[in-house]
Amino acid sequence: MILEVLSVGLIISACLAIFLDEAVYSVVALAGTFMFTALLFLLNGAVYVAIFQFAVGIGTLAVLFLSGEMLSEKPKQKTSLKSALTVIVVSAVLSLFPIFLSVPLSAASGSGVPFGEALWDLRAPDIVLQGLVIMTVAIGIAIVLYERKNGGD
Amino acid sequence: MDFVILSLIMLAIGIYGLLTQRHLLKVFVSVELIATAATLNFVMLASSMGLGLGEAFMVLAFSTDTAVSGVILALLVIVSKKYGTSDMDELMKLETEKLDEEEDAD
Repeated sequence: MILEVLSVGLIISACLAIFLDEAVYSVVALAGTFMFTALLFLLNGAVYVAIFQFAVGIGTLAVLFLSGEMLSEKPKQKTSLKSALTVIVVSAVLSLFPIFLSVPLSAASGSGVPFGEALWDLRAPDIVLQGLVIMTVAIGIAIVLYERKNGGD
Repeated sequence: MDFVILSLIMLAIGIYGLLTQRHLLKVFVSVELIATAATLNFVMLASSMGLGLGEAFMVLAFSTDTAVSGVILALLVIVSKKYGTSDMDELMKLETEKLDEEEDAD
């Protein structure tokens, strides 16, 4: 039952993120989408992915809020309550499809490798390389900010 | 409860937003929704089949996705500061005018 409620919330927040006129409200709805997705992962047993979704989602949303404030212009017309309610009703109707329909899938043929083993034994070089790339980007940003502060181009 | 159909609907919402919205930030939000739909499908199938490798791939994909989002947002802010608008139609109009001016100068 709780999965159904979460999926309804996910689709409603996704629709609101698209259809709300104000950029900041749209980002708030996107935050709801991230939160519902992470809860769905958590309840389906993918705990580590849920934690990553929370952590990454919070970082992305912080940057999105700032950019939303910088980019947003006054909308020509505000979203009326009636149109917001229409979006909610339409998305609630849309969310009936995943609840009552199902796609037949072939039987699971997984190797059953646990997450920790898959991450550290099979994908360890990827993680190390990705860490190096992210560290290089962070150092590059720090150098650019330092140069700007000292008046360089 | 079927996660394939759920992610399909999320994908449809994202594509609809990508095609209809004119504000740059809304386009970015649509791209995020499409990425979320793909992640949802991948992780749900992997975890329901007990495949840890699928979840490990998605953890790696999250960080890549975030880095790409950061670069896209930086570009959006630069474009909107330079041209003074974040509307795609106006940006296209400005670019067309600039090209016309360059052709006239030649």
